[in-house]
This record gives sequence, structure tokens and C-alpha cells, in this order.
Amino acid sequence: MSTPALEVRDLWSGYGDQDVLRGIDLVLEPRTIVALIGANGAGKSTLLRTLSGLLRPHRGEAKLYGESIFCLPPHKVVERGFVQSPEGKQLFLGMSIRENLLVGAQNKRARARRDQTLEEVFELFPILRERQALNASTLSGGQQQMVAVGRALMALPRVLALDEPSLGLAPIMVDRLFESIAKIKERDLTILIIEQNVFQVLEMADYGYVLENGVMTLNGTGAELLADDHLRASYLGL
Amino acid sequence: MDLLTLSFAVINGLLIGGIYGGVALGLSLIFGVMRVINFAHGSFLMLAMYCSYLLWASLGLHPYVSILATVPFLFIVGYFVQGVVISPLFKRERALVVEPTSALLLTAGVYLVVDNIVLMAFGPDVRSVAVDITYESIFVAGLPINLARLIGFLAAIVVAAALSFWLKHSEMGRAIRATAQNRDAASLSGINVQRVYNVTFGLGCAVLGLFGALLVPFFSITPNIGLSFGIKSFLVVVLGGIGSIPGSILGGLLLGVFESVASQFVTATSAAIFSFGLFIAILLLRPAGLMGRA
Ligand SMILES: Nc1ncnc2c1ncn2[C@@H]1O[C@H](COP(=O)(O)OP(=O)(O)O)[C@@H](O)[C@H]1O
Ligand SMILES: [Mg+2]
Repeated sequence: MSTPALEVRDLWSGYGDQDVLRGIDLVLEPRTIVALIGANGAGKSTLLRTLSGLLRPHRGEAKLYGESIFCLPPHKVVERGFVQSPEGKQLFLGMSIRENLLVGAQNKRARARRDQTLEEVFELFPILRERQALNASTLSGGQQQMVAVGRALMALPRVLALDEPSLGLAPIMVDRLFESIAKIKERDLTILIIEQNVFQVLEMADYGYVLENGVMTLNGTGAELLADDHLRASYLGL
Repeated sequence: MDLLTLSFAVINGLLIGGIYGGVALGLSLIFGVMRVINFAHGSFLMLAMYCSYLLWASLGLHPYVSILATVPFLFIVGYFVQGVVISPLFKRERALVVEPTSALLLTAGVYLVVDNIVLMAFGPDVRSVAVDITYESIFVAGLPINLARLIGFLAAIVVAAALSFWLKHSEMGRAIRATAQNRDAASLSGINVQRVYNVTFGLGCAVLGLFGALLVPFFSITPNIGLSFGIKSFLVVVLGGIGSIPGSILGGLLLGVFESVASQFVTATSAAIFSFGLFIAILLLRPAGLMGRA
């Protein structure tokens, strides 16, 4: 088997002394889309915050293509190639769309290719090219989400994590966003996606994990999970 | 009081007020970006004044020439005070917000240390720099305008404009603005937030390096002069709107004119009381300051 794009082993993390995540194992094979599913408060965002270096883990290991990204400061994690588009978009609302995107290209590698990547992001989301000079606060929720994903792409991620990208979006925008994500996958990267649209995300994903109360309770291919009775009852209401 | 005295007071108030605004720029920048109230702000100005004084006393350097040394020196001091003293506060709990009180106490400690080291080294004596420019004036419409103050005033305008431009158009400026708006989002975009903080703090202090040298030709120096400048800067920043660069200049002008005109009617000490009155009045009307966004 090839080196996993991301490998998390026995990860314990939380806020202060409190453990929210209790022994997480997670493996992302290169060039796959992996869905992470779980109820509100299960610890999904906490997992991403820990991997990104915003939270100091209590114990465990996390490797990106075999190299540890454990306990690195956030900007180093981005430099290594793990980039997340955080929950709630977290745009810089006082800045133009273009500036929001440019902020994403901080590390040397990304800086050197900045104009090209910007062009690619505009190709992926043409509406952003039109509106690039406007303030980010003038956009609709769906367009703001495009900026957030675009900003993450500007860092040239090897593993891209999306934390509830469809939150608060109209259904038609969700469909478009999923199309874009499928296109992003063609860019030769690995995607970890947290979603509430369980059915839609599992149809697209190669593999999925279910997180409940800080513990991974279930994992399998998208099709396997969709056929699982427990998952169907808890998350699809079937 | 006749019109001539009043216009003289207003002009002098504007000049010194511009300088107050310039001195306050760093405090506003640091608070705007880091949400840290730097209690030691005035002490760094005092340090710059001593630095300029020493270069004059020992090497005979004109204070305006000493700017070449005081600005980089203060930048380095600021950079390391943030990197060594303040940053552990941010690292303590990476994800959580630094409470303003702990940062305030910490910088109050820096103020005590700096002021007392200088007191130990130089004693409480009042020192002054005697250079020709102290006594030079130009006449506008029959009113004398002190050249050294005019230069300080103009420097404040130029520095404020340059700082705004740089923040808007440089890569580092963009990173600073992003960090000010959303620290976590900035980290997640790959910005080295600690480095941004170091540079911001360094810059805020470098501006004091400039004004320290511009002040010594007409301001006598004592180890405790920092505190009064620090408090005035705080008034200026809150008046003008925290984090706003034009607001800082505007707040400075307002405070300067108010002080200067009030001291025509009452003693300078009671004029200071009136300044606080003005401060409270404006905050009642505009809680976010003159140029601040609520
Ligand atoms: N800043 C915080 N401080 C303390 N506890 C938090 C904080 N953020 C989240 N939590 C707690 O951590 C748990 C997991 O939250 P989170 O990771 O945001 O869940 P999810 O993203 O799966 O909805 C929740 O119980 C939540 O209350
Ligand atoms: Mg979440």
C-alpha cells in the first residue's frame, strides 16, 4: 500500500484538560475524497483545529505523506500541505475578494505560483473573477463559501479539509459546490470533507468515517456506509 | 483674551496635537492588531528620547540625525519585547483569546522595568538638548510658528499617511490587516501570526523612535516623562477610534487644541482635568471614538 496522504493515530485532543477527541484513527489514501460524518458537537471541527495546529493535542500522532505534522504551528502545517477551509467561512470581511484569495498564498511554494493559482480559482468559480474588486461582505453565502475554498486552494494544499462547506447554502448552491469539489479532486489532491448532507456526500466520497462523541464508530466506502443500518437510522432518518 | 493670543494658542495646540497623534499611532496599531493595550507605550518614547539625547551628548549628533539610530533601535526593542515577553501569553492557550487584563498587567510590568532601569542609569535629573532649531520660528500672518514643532507636526501627518499606504498595499500590510480581523483565519491561511505580531509591535515602537528624536529639541527629558505621554496617547486613541490611523491624528489634534486653549483660561494642571472632561463627553456621544467603527 502507498503512503497515506494523511494518517492520524490514537489522537486525543480538546479544550484545556477536557478531552473532546478520545483516540481518533483516520487514514486518507492519496487522491481520494473522504467524508467525515457526525452529529453536532461530535468533535469534527475539533479534529480539524487540532490537525491545523490551532489546538494542542494531548497525545497521538498525525502524519502528512509520512511526515509528522503533529504539534507544528498553524502556518507550518499549511506550508507542509494540510489546509482547511474552516467552518463558517471565516473570511476577512473588510477586504476585497481578490485580497482574501491572495492572503491564502503565504508560503514560498504558493507565492511563486500565485498568479497561476489565482487564475485556476477564477476558472473554477468564474463569478469570483467578476466580483474580485468587491468587498467580501457583499457576497451571498454561497459565493463567500467559494472564496473560502478558493483561499484554501491558493495555499496549494496536498490535503484539503472542508468543514461544512454547504452550511447555510441554498440547495442549488450545494449542488454546484459539490460539482466544484469533484472538479477540485481532479487537481491531484486529497479531500477530507465534513458534511451534514450525509446522503450527497457519501455518494461522492470514496470513503467515509462516522464520529460520535469523540470516537470513530464506523468507517467504510461510501456505498458500505449508505447500506449500514445504524447510519441510515441515525443520519438519514430511514 | 484677545484674538491674537487665541489664534496663537490654537496654532500651538494644533502643532503639539499633531505630535500627540503621531506618538499615539503605535498604540493604536498595536491595539488594533493584537488587542493588547501597551501600558509601556510612553516608556518606549522616553527610551527613544534618552537614546537621542545620549547620541547628542556623547557624539554631538543632531537629534534629527539620531533618527537613523533611534528608529531601528526602537523597532528591535519592540520586536523582542513582543517576541520574548508578550508572546508567551498568546502561546499559553493557542486557540483562546488573550484577556486584555493579563496583557495590560504584563505591559505595566514592562513599563515599571524600563522606567526604573532608566532612572537607575541616569538618575532623576532633568536633561535637555540644546540645538539651534529649538529657538527658530517662521512667521505666518504675523504669528510665530516654532520650527521644531512644525517639523514634528508634519512628520506625524507624513508617517500616518505612509503607514496607511503601506498597510493597504504591501504584502506584510495585508498580512497584518488579515491578522487584525481574524487571527485564527489568518493562521489557517498560512500567516505566521507571531511574526506579524513581532513586526507590528516593532513598527509601533519604531514610530516612537522617530518622535522621541523629534521631541527632544523642545521637550526636556526625565525618566518618568513616558507615563504622561502614555496616558495622552491612550486618550488620543480612544478619542479618535481604536485602530484607526486617521483617527489617531484627529484625536491628537483635538486634544492638543483643547489643552492649549484651556490653559489660556486656567492653569495647565486644571487644563488636564478638562481634557478628561472632553474625553468623557466625546465617549458619551460617540462610544466608538470619532473615526471608530462601532
Ligand atoms: N472553544 C471551545 N471551548 C470549549 N469547548 C469547546 C470549544 N469549541 C467546541 N467545544 C466543545 O467541543 C465539542 C466538539 O465541538 P466541535 O468540534 O465544534 O463539534 P462539531 O464540529 O462536530 O459540531 C462540543 O462538545 C463543544 O461544546
Ligand atoms: Mg463543526
